[in-house]
Amino acid sequence: MTAVHAEPTAPVVTDEPARSARAVTALTVRQVRRAAVLVTALAAAMSALVAATHASTIGNAAQAESLTALAANPAIRTLFGEPTNLADPGGFTVWRTGIFLAVLIGAWSLLVTTRVTRGEEDAGRVDLLLAGPLPARHLLQRQLAVLLTAAAAAGAAATAALLASGTDPAGAAVHGTGLALTGMFFAATGALAAQIFPARSGATGSAVAVLAAGLMLRMVGDGADALGWIRWLTPFGLTGLTRPYDTNRWLPLLVLAASTAAMTAAAVFAGRRDVRGGWLNPAPGRPPRLALLDSVPAFALRRMLRPLAGWAAGIGAYFLLVGLIAQSMITFLADNPHFANLASQAGFAGLDAVEGYAASLFALLALPVGGFAAARITAFFADETGGRLTLLCAGPRTRRWAAGAEILVTAGGAVVLVLVAGAATAAGATLSGAPLSVAESLAGAVNVLPVALLSLGAAVLALGVAPRLMGWISAVPGIGGFLLLVTADSVNAPHWVAQLSPFAHLARVPAESPHLTAAAVMLLVGSTAVFVGLTTYGRRDLAA
Amino acid sequence: MRTAKLSKHYGPVRALDQLDLEVAAGEVFGFLGPNGAGKSTTIRLLLGLAQPTAGTAHLFDVPAADVASAHRHLAYVPADVALWPQLTGAEILELLARTGPGTDRDYQAELVDRFALDVNKPARTYSTGNRQKVALIAAFATRARLLILDEPTSGLDPLMEREFRTAVREARDRGQSVFLSSHQLAEVEAVCDRVAILRAGRLAEVATVSDLRRLHRTEIEVSFTGELPDLETMPGVDTVETVAPGHIRFSLAGPPGPALWALVSADIATLSVREPSLEEIFLAYYGEAIR
Repeated sequence: MTAVHAEPTAPVVTDEPARSARAVTALTVRQVRRAAVLVTALAAAMSALVAATHASTIGNAAQAESLTALAANPAIRTLFGEPTNLADPGGFTVWRTGIFLAVLIGAWSLLVTTRVTRGEEDAGRVDLLLAGPLPARHLLQRQLAVLLTAAAAAGAAATAALLASGTDPAGAAVHGTGLALTGMFFAATGALAAQIFPARSGATGSAVAVLAAGLMLRMVGDGADALGWIRWLTPFGLTGLTRPYDTNRWLPLLVLAASTAAMTAAAVFAGRRDVRGGWLNPAPGRPPRLALLDSVPAFALRRMLRPLAGWAAGIGAYFLLVGLIAQSMITFLADNPHFANLASQAGFAGLDAVEGYAASLFALLALPVGGFAAARITAFFADETGGRLTLLCAGPRTRRWAAGAEILVTAGGAVVLVLVAGAATAAGATLSGAPLSVAESLAGAVNVLPVALLSLGAAVLALGVAPRLMGWISAVPGIGGFLLLVTADSVNAPHWVAQLSPFAHLARVPAESPHLTAAAVMLLVGSTAVFVGLTTYGRRDLAA
Repeated sequence: MRTAKLSKHYGPVRALDQLDLEVAAGEVFGFLGPNGAGKSTTIRLLLGLAQPTAGTAHLFDVPAADVASAHRHLAYVPADVALWPQLTGAEILELLARTGPGTDRDYQAELVDRFALDVNKPARTYSTGNRQKVALIAAFATRARLLILDEPTSGLDPLMEREFRTAVREARDRGQSVFLSSHQLAEVEAVCDRVAILRAGRLAEVATVSDLRRLHRTEIEVSFTGELPDLETMPGVDTVETVAPGHIRFSLAGPPGPALWALVSADIATLSVREPSLEEIFLAYYGEAIR
């Protein structure tokens, strides 16, 4: 018989629920911290940079006044929001960065929220967490607390940067609070959507649709005086209505705060549901739809069609609006020729003719189309890590071939998106009577395709070489190049710095003829990246 | 299928070390080992999903890395079946049939019936067992020469487990080879011709199930009325235990004759001889490490 030497020790019982709740908070922080730091830093850096360069951009009060007149034009207002006090560095910063940052913080907040809530649930990891003493409702509350704080931090960073730049504290506070509340509103929207829809894709898609609709409402409200009240219905409109550095109204912020609180409460209330269930559960069965299942490329096309339709709807709606307001822009600038010069100084060169106007806006098209391409390759990698590719890879084909099919189909999707943008712009221009032909419009849209394909190339390169860093690497040509160009222009960096951006080599089609050499170089770089990425991908071990 | 000195190292970890294995055509081959022994790593190397650090693997005399050729005659069921959540079972079976190595659609329909799979549900709603059924039906319905099954029945209920064994036998009757990695020792015992046992990335044994038994000790339990003979000194006898007065248990390796002769003098009342189950053999291989 074995002698027992040690006294049996009772396990140390601590406050289990509280400890697991803290663990969940810590987990959520880990899941969001890296991107949260980046978004916060971007909000601070952009605000500080634009505020610091205000003097060199605006020069004197007379120029500010002229710019105010330009910015008051309905078309400009539709695109960039209603300007408040452009003579003030803070007011100018709000006008230049406000909507961009609001969309950035809002979009990031909702994406990260659906990822850590419904995404983790889809993956089955939430089941493990909830096997502990923590109730499901508390899990959601803990996650929301972290996500709302992250969104608030981004807004606070903008306030801090503007305060550090020496702008009016009240304006900085109003602007930062508006950004923070916008982020929090969309985090809550994402959380609510994650309770309603039983899959991450549906939750993300519907929350993005809310954001896009909010942005559209803001554009309509800013563009048409008679419909100005519509801005009370959207976070982007409400932040505009606060008029930072001007009247600094707090009432719109209160409305936004109340909506955010209501949305958060609704999400928490809707959280009373079955884990892995939702409030909109699809029918339990359906007859098979066998189209596009007969080969790997066909299946890649099948998986792309629904996301492509979403992206096409968003891009099409935006560029239809661009076309619709074209005539208003052209008329205004024709009546006030001296504004063309001012506009170019303020960074909107060549807006005096419809071709220049269209070219400026088509350059932006490279961002969503490149984003679409990167998102498809990201989804392909998610299929790999999720183990869904394994069965296809066990079939008689090389992995390189399967990935190649995915890339070709994605490139096809990118072409469709630029054509949709071109057609939508032409349709809007025709409706508003602007002199922009379908051919010019399509040429302008197709012109940005090489930049979007650079993003695709970067994503494929990442797929082969460093798939875990795909989000960062694929953002380099598009978002990175765009920010580089804007920043280099703002701080008067040496010429070659801006030349690193693909956007610097984009001809202003249809105002100019395309830079075929630059386009060829970009396509060559993109193809090389695809080739290297595919080669490495064929050799590396399959994840999962 | 054959491998020669097949090795896979992840940094300093030797997931698989110098594996030499050969599976003949038409054979059902069991691949045993505890978690982390390197079973799934071996299968990933065989499928070309990962590159070996050293050594070679060939399927039908084609290097495993040449997947376009090798996979023309192969079907696979992963240990953890992941499916596209929005596709229904029928759609996934269609996809795998159209992109796979050729499928017998009639047999596929029969298997759907036998495995009682509701193919109209989206994969999102499938349990682990149902996802495994989809992959199993897709694999068994192919006319591939080799079926590689990685723990295919871990989520199946006993009824479905029986269907699985039937399907394996049908595959063998058609001349298909089956490479079955499994934890279900009873299942391996029931369907496999030969078994390989893997331990910490190295091959511990390859033998038929009956040979494995012979290599191991038989357990004998005897009750008697007379005097207990001195068994301890007899060759092959080990661990004599007294269960109750006049009732002993001992293990025996080698021929049982001498021990039985000795016991005859003790007036045997009851005698039971039990061959070790594969589970006991398995535990004998790995148990020491745990104890």
